Amino acid sequence: MSQQSLDPVTLEVLRNALPAIANEMAVDLQRTSYNMMIYEVQDYCCALLDAEGRLISQNLGGVSHFVADLGVVIRDGIARYGDDGFKPGDVIITNHQRVGGQHLNNVCIYTPFFFDGALQAFAVVRAHWVDIGGLSTGFSAASLVSDPWMEGLQLDQVKIYEAGEPDEKVLGIIRDNIRFPESSMGDLRSQMAACKLAERRLDELFARYGRGTIYGALERIFDETEKKCRNVVRSIPDGEYEAESFLDPDGPDKSLTVPIRVTVLVSDDDMTIDLTRCSLQRNSGINARTLAGPYIAYKALTGPLEPVNEGSFRGLKVDIQEGNFMMARYPAVMAGWSRALPTVVDTIVKALVPALPDKAPAAHLGTLGGSMTFFGKDPESGRNFVLQTIEGGGWGGRPWEDGESATVSVCQGDVRNAPVETIELKSPVIVQQRALRNDSGGPGKFRGGLGMRTQMTNHAEGRWSASNAGRRLCPPWGAAGGGSGAASVNYVQTPDDKEMKVMDPVRMVSAAGTSVMVATAGGGGWGNPLDRDPASVREDVLDEFVSIESARNDYGVIINPETLDVDVKATEILRAERRNRDETDGAKIR
Amino acid sequence: MSLFVALDIGGTFTDLVAFDLAGGAIHHAKSSTTPYDLSVGIRRTLEKSGLSIPNIDTFVHGSTVAINTAIERNGAKTALLVTQGMRDVYQIGRGNRPESYNLFFKRPKPYVLRRDTFELIERLNAAGEIITVLDQDSATDTARRLGGNDFAAVAVCLIHSWANPAHEAKVGELLATHAPALFCSLSHEILREYREYERMSTTVLNAYVGPRVSRYLQDLENLLVELGFAGQLYIMQSNGGSMSPAIARRIPVATMESGPVGGIIAAAEITRDLGHRNVVAFDMGGTTAKVSLVQDNEPAISQGYFVGGAARGHPVMYPVVDIVEVGAGGGSIAWIDEVGALKVGPRSAGGHPGPVCYGQGGTEPTVTDANVVLGRLVADRFLGGEMPLDVEAARKAITDQIATPLDMTVEQAALGIIDIAIAEMSLAVRSVSVGRGYDPRDFAMVGFGGAGPLHAGQIARELGIPTLIIPRVPGHFSALGMLLANLRHDYVRTYYKPLDACDFTEIEAAFDTMIEEAHGVLKEEGATPDLINYQRFLDIRYIGQEFPILTPVSAEDIVNGDVAALRAAFDRIHDRRYGHQAVDEPVEVVNLRLTATGEREHLSFPGIAGTAGEALIDSRPVIFGDPTKPVISPIYDRDRLAAGEVVVGPAAVVEYASTTVLFEGDSLKVAPSGELIIEIAQGEMA
Repeated sequence: MSQQSLDPVTLEVLRNALPAIANEMAVDLQRTSYNMMIYEVQDYCCALLDAEGRLISQNLGGVSHFVADLGVVIRDGIARYGDDGFKPGDVIITNHQRVGGQHLNNVCIYTPFFFDGALQAFAVVRAHWVDIGGLSTGFSAASLVSDPWMEGLQLDQVKIYEAGEPDEKVLGIIRDNIRFPESSMGDLRSQMAACKLAERRLDELFARYGRGTIYGALERIFDETEKKCRNVVRSIPDGEYEAESFLDPDGPDKSLTVPIRVTVLVSDDDMTIDLTRCSLQRNSGINARTLAGPYIAYKALTGPLEPVNEGSFRGLKVDIQEGNFMMARYPAVMAGWSRALPTVVDTIVKALVPALPDKAPAAHLGTLGGSMTFFGKDPESGRNFVLQTIEGGGWGGRPWEDGESATVSVCQGDVRNAPVETIELKSPVIVQQRALRNDSGGPGKFRGGLGMRTQMTNHAEGRWSASNAGRRLCPPWGAAGGGSGAASVNYVQTPDDKEMKVMDPVRMVSAAGTSVMVATAGGGGWGNPLDRDPASVREDVLDEFVSIESARNDYGVIINPETLDVDVKATEILRAERRNRDETDGAKIR
Repeated sequence: MSLFVALDIGGTFTDLVAFDLAGGAIHHAKSSTTPYDLSVGIRRTLEKSGLSIPNIDTFVHGSTVAINTAIERNGAKTALLVTQGMRDVYQIGRGNRPESYNLFFKRPKPYVLRRDTFELIERLNAAGEIITVLDQDSATDTARRLGGNDFAAVAVCLIHSWANPAHEAKVGELLATHAPALFCSLSHEILREYREYERMSTTVLNAYVGPRVSRYLQDLENLLVELGFAGQLYIMQSNGGSMSPAIARRIPVATMESGPVGGIIAAAEITRDLGHRNVVAFDMGGTTAKVSLVQDNEPAISQGYFVGGAARGHPVMYPVVDIVEVGAGGGSIAWIDEVGALKVGPRSAGGHPGPVCYGQGGTEPTVTDANVVLGRLVADRFLGGEMPLDVEAARKAITDQIATPLDMTVEQAALGIIDIAIAEMSLAVRSVSVGRGYDPRDFAMVGFGGAGPLHAGQIARELGIPTLIIPRVPGHFSALGMLLANLRHDYVRTYYKPLDACDFTEIEAAFDTMIEEAHGVLKEEGATPDLINYQRFLDIRYIGQEFPILTPVSAEDIVNGDVAALRAAFDRIHDRRYGHQAVDEPVEVVNLRLTATGEREHLSFPGIAGTAGEALIDSRPVIFGDPTKPVISPIYDRDRLAAGEVVVGPAAVVEYASTTVLFEGDSLKVAPSGELIIEIAQGEMA
């Protein structure tokens, strides 16, 4: 590589062109996919990796917990087939948990890219297929399975095309062992098309700039990205910061919660995130083999809007041992692999609250939202239907403003709920309400965002599955003196029931006339609620985000129920009393 | 009575272009926009033009009042009426976070408060059947309450009103009776398409900007009448068409993104006359570059967009000319980031203080400064010599802030700034062409806007586009396009069925209803019946997909119900757009769409004079590919170039508000109608 060819201009042009390829792959995949997990939930990622499995670029947007986690998949493929084991026109499929460490629905398709007869890079698309066989479809397998074989079809680095020739036998086996094969085969086509698109774009770039220039530029891009991230870490005071939280019991013993304990070590521009004190791997499906928790937190801190590449995480060290529930050994159950991730991310942020008093928010809903699935066969049309939607929850108050309401988790990005009208067009269901949950936001100087409530009733038989679980006993916490948000809860009412009953998670074949309701958590509050401007409390009361009772009890603000005005004097007195009491309590505790 | 006038109000300038059919002359005039009272700027511009207002036959107006009202959030106090249980749908939206690692994302801030949202007792199902009859008593109470409050507008969006508007229409009647002073916006009157949040957002925006836009249009009409205007007034729409002020007052949301569409219309029209069908329109100004695809002489249309950007904007489900915008303009600032990488934009020096070379106080080097250093902008001929540029200041800024820190010469740095901007704009052009399955080598490019002609050639070469067209008055091209815009209205009905289960009699009837409505509207707007055209479309997708493809169909296709032909047409478009098709997979129809156009009188601009004196006015050193080797290049005055004249690069052609640069091997020929037709030399440039 000549130094001359690596001028700042070429560097900048390549820096923009490489993420553009990954983003273009994503647009095409999303527009042509056959299942809402891809086109609405955007449960996929598209990436380019070099011949050693280093991340060249990855699409931004979509699901964040796939960040920079394809390197292990590609390196495993290289180990399997050898450096010279790939040919142009090969297409490899893999979803195996031995390295992938996610639920089996997440299917990776990748193709090798050749230039001048030599392997240069890989194009990869991981996407969530609607079904992968096993006990059940969609998300509902997570709590039922006790090993990967029950979960579904395991595909371990299998070539489905060799040098451009499809292996019809393998494709036939896949088709025969999944439900909705037309959907997944459509997704497979879209995934392959996105990889082919990437190969064409890479070919144009290699033809124009040459391998030497491109690889030279990559080293520089990685180095510069790393340096930018380290610059941010350097601005955080050195120290050792700890926090803990827990997930609800995940097994038959209802006293055994799942501990999540993190230590963040900041030393100059180095950051270490230590997860070794988290739970060991579990018998339930919440295990994973991923660094996504620490990666998402680090990315959010160091450059949330910057493209992702191999340099993005070189300034971060993650301490985690084999057998930890986030680094589980195959064949641990991983059907619910992503469930703990929002809490892991939040706990890392929580640890940093003392270090970043003006930057770190309170906790958000902490689950992957209220997911609702209903599927079956429409008795009128005879067609299979699958309805899926994910309902957002509250985000934590920020050191300068209220948290946002009814939004998907930190792991989900551009995931959209299904419109009421789409749900009712496609499936035999009526949506009774989609509403914000009053009083669910954690009280604080800056209030947590509100959770929401969505209720549906089916008018034909089908199987319901609704999950919103895992954080009922540990609701989203406040920061800097703020209170917690309301915990999530789900309800069911069968035609035989007189009223709604709490049920979480919901998994049942349901007669027509069954109502299911998910209520998602509110975000934690930031700062002492007694410091909230009474005028803001009044505004919240006018909008019914906060009730008059909560205004009094949580914020110490007296609102006249007739005029809806703040009783300034009574408020001052009440707040003074509360502060006094809090100080006395504080003294006692100390 | 043969004067056609277009008046375009932009953020900085109010721009007028007029065409005199009898005399064959094009006039233009410009004056500053007066945001406190737009009519002041309009009056001033009209005076400056010297036109006789009573002689104006047609007056087309493009305004940014609707979009500015939305962005500045100074619209009407608006109430929202929804179906029971759906009070918070507008607050919740889709619950997404497009910036997935951003812990501090912001949701779109609603234009209607939760406390101003009211539920009505009523319910339809997806088939449009009534499950719960509208409770008229409580609805009447609500209407009365709104009428007695300080609301100025109300939006109504009921679940499944796209399937059956009966309840919404009834609520509209109650509001007209009990709250007659309110601007009322009913979702089914704006669009009949499923997806309640997007429809609700569109309806709310319509109501929110409605009173202000109505007032503004009324003032404009009054002003024109006062000045003696007796012709037809038309208002530009986001979909590239125009409409009567009466309809604009009812559906002001249709004008929301009309600002940049004029140039795209003009690009489509002039290239039709020049014999090109497929065109990339490239519009580069001070802060951004905008790119749009014109296919078969029709601008590409998108069925929705976000007001305020995709990350935190409000969805509007209304057809809009599909424009990709990038933050690269003449004023884009070049800078070095914390790790030493050279960046261009997205920050812009804009018009004020503007580039360093303007000498108005700008201190950061811009794309325009780089062009001045390279000699591509002739400093003493800028704006016809009215505003000489400060070359030394530009050189110094680039030297100090870019070249020295990066250890480059000032020429290398200037060239680098341009190349980075070109690469970014090329990605945008590629996304609207290659990205949609088209080969740019089959296209022509039209370069306009103040900075378009200066950069378009390089982009064309980068992508292998063989022909570049620089229109007349490239700096006023947007207003010119308004003169050419047809009357146009788009209609949609959600019709959701597998294609092979479609009842084509039903579909035909639905199209007939839309056509009847369109016909009435166009007639009222003064369209000539012979010149009314209808284009039918079906939104089709493979069952299981979400995003349908707009598939044009003929009236015969519908009457014949030829399922095989319809799906073959869809498969073909899918294959071109995405590179694959699935001919065995079942497909479904999602929406029926109709575009109704009333063709306006076709304006043929007169050819240019045979010769107007010596066009070669100067020669200067210009840097093209090699920063160490300036090439002495001839400079031509565009106004003196005669039809048929040929100029071979390297060269520059200057005109009042723009400069066209020819690289070595590029060959320019002046069309009889005055456009510069440039054959771009292909291959790596020297």
